[in-house]
Amino acid sequence: MAGYSVEERAAPNSLEYRLFFKDAAGRYISPFHDIPLYADAGKNVFNMVVEVPRWTNAKMEIATKDPLNPIKQDVKKGKLRYVANVFPHKGYIWNYGAIPQTWEDPGHKDENTGCCGDNDPIDVCEIGSKVCSRGEVIKVKVLGTLALIDEGETDWKIIAINIEDPEAENYNDINDVRRMKPGYLEATVDWFRRYKVPDGKPENQFAFNGEFKDKDFAVNVIKSTHEHWKALIAKKTDGGEISCTNLTVSGSPFCCSQECAKATVDASWPALAATDKFMWLMSRTVLRRDLRSPQCSLERLVCTNSCYLLFHFLFQAPPCKAANPIPPEVDRWFYYQKN
Amino acid sequence: MAVSPTCHLKATRYLKWSWWHLVISQDELKWVHSAMKEKGKSVHFCFVMEKLLWSNKENADGKYISPFHDIPLFAGSKEDKEIPAKRSKTTGNEVLFNMVVEVPRWTNAKMEIATEEPLNPIKQDTKKGKPRYVANIFPHKGYIWNYGALPQTWEDPNHTDNITGCCGDNDPVDVCEIGSKVRSSGEIVQVKVLGVLALLDEGETDWKIIAIGVDDPEAQKIHDIDDVRKHKPGYLEATIDWFRCYKVPDGKPENQFAFNGEFKDKDFAVEIIKSTHEYWKALLHKKTDGGTVKCTNVLVSGSPFCCSEEEARSIVQSAPVPANGDSVCPEVDSWYFFPRDH
Repeated sequence: MAGYSVEERAAPNSLEYRLFFKDAAGRYISPFHDIPLYADAGKNVFNMVVEVPRWTNAKMEIATKDPLNPIKQDVKKGKLRYVANVFPHKGYIWNYGAIPQTWEDPGHKDENTGCCGDNDPIDVCEIGSKVCSRGEVIKVKVLGTLALIDEGETDWKIIAINIEDPEAENYNDINDVRRMKPGYLEATVDWFRRYKVPDGKPENQFAFNGEFKDKDFAVNVIKSTHEHWKALIAKKTDGGEISCTNLTVSGSPFCCSQECAKATVDASWPALAATDKFMWLMSRTVLRRDLRSPQCSLERLVCTNSCYLLFHFLFQAPPCKAANPIPPEVDRWFYYQKN
Repeated sequence: MAVSPTCHLKATRYLKWSWWHLVISQDELKWVHSAMKEKGKSVHFCFVMEKLLWSNKENADGKYISPFHDIPLFAGSKEDKEIPAKRSKTTGNEVLFNMVVEVPRWTNAKMEIATEEPLNPIKQDTKKGKPRYVANIFPHKGYIWNYGALPQTWEDPNHTDNITGCCGDNDPVDVCEIGSKVRSSGEIVQVKVLGVLALLDEGETDWKIIAIGVDDPEAQKIHDIDDVRKHKPGYLEATIDWFRCYKVPDGKPENQFAFNGEFKDKDFAVEIIKSTHEYWKALLHKKTDGGTVKCTNVLVSGSPFCCSEEEARSIVQSAPVPANGDSVCPEVDSWYFFPRDH
């Protein structure tokens, strides 16, 4: 493995949550620009950045407009976005993410779909057994592609499998998926067609009548989005609000130093130091003990709570990284008749 | 160290955030609620509380109980004074039941009421000496409803059901709760019954009651099995598909159903529940031989198996102390695909 790691800032399921990336040497990098497209060019094995683990709902994505492009949760109307469970599906039905060093250029009309790009790296649905973690960088074999037209923009969905999957050897093209995972491709089309309907949006459309194109076609799509990215990072195309800050693309006018990268990361919600974690755990233990005592009362609870907070302020410690709860309405299952 | 001016702005957010966090676990919720009850404070003061949680079966007075025998079947009954009867406006004459949730929707761990252990705690089933997890049968993820049991019911293995022609599976009657909320293991939910499916699981009668929590936002619109068809199209078909195939990854054959897999209505379901309740009564009063089923209980007056609070407490105290869970094997996440004739 390339040895990429992640560093979390603030609590998951919060507006402030960020997932920054580091290379094997511990230097901060951009998952959009600094992770190579190819894991093995000769074998057509690509790198994939996992944004959304299978069966989860939080809409996490590479923040293309933020320097160093950390993963953060998408926000809609000021609220954290969670994708609906459209029956029979639960959350996302694959590990979902992006291929680095690709870009669907909004200034370029795709000849297959007739639509402009969605201004994001190209999306991947990884169909292996393992539920990957958010921010994991995996190596994938491309098997095919689906041409989604999401709200009028071209949005290719690459179908791929993790090379570490126990069955990966048996998957070499899109027909293998049809054969060995019957129903999965149909479910994929169904998912992308309907996933925004609970939000009041219409069903999505597809090019090629929703037909999956094969591996060679998919690899060509990836290569052309890689060319668009190269033009972007070399400032030959205007990326608009996209942040092209990177650490490793030689010759790019957006290349920056590690000091600059570190300053970017530190400017966001600070990480929780070990001593802070210890103090938080201590105060929580004390609180738990108080809760169990016969003298426990609401007033006492609030008082203890406030003391713990005051303690934290005095030491300038931010809230801990324990995840915020996911709102219960995220668990709703949406039903409606298919056309 | 000086406190910076920006800390004040963070303070308000911190207060709300950490209040939520500090009372987020179920154990903590229970303690806070008990403490507030003592003081007579109203429950909406704590904005995460819904109703009394009976985790590991300690009721409001602190007694250990059996979820199999000591929780009343009928909600709102004389014995059920601990649980506030929540009646919706249109269901004045609908029979409500208590349900013990064993498996939350979308999870895989096969949790069940341990019928052969005293006080019948919920435990994880085992298979070949290892904790058992139900497979993910594509397109399903884990269990597709909140799954559990009706207390004070028993499918008698000595009795051949005249409908299914099979004997009972020696367990309380199973329930699939189809509401929106993902419940917790050990939660007690008041449900209304909508219908029933007659599964023949490995040759044993295994009725599956279809029900919905009365607190569900759609409970007012759903009164019978046809309403489920109307408001949740595909759910009943998925239910049959799930029960038919869920053991195939373990090498077992597909299951069969009585009535050709047809769902029977609410009245039929209530009759099934009443008759399994009678079998349970006979069990608790030693009129039927329960074999290895443990009938130890704390609240069933007249039962020869009734024990004292102290005895109940010592049973619980002889169990291992609480600990952090083991991590789940990644194989549990595999999705099983096989062609189906639809």
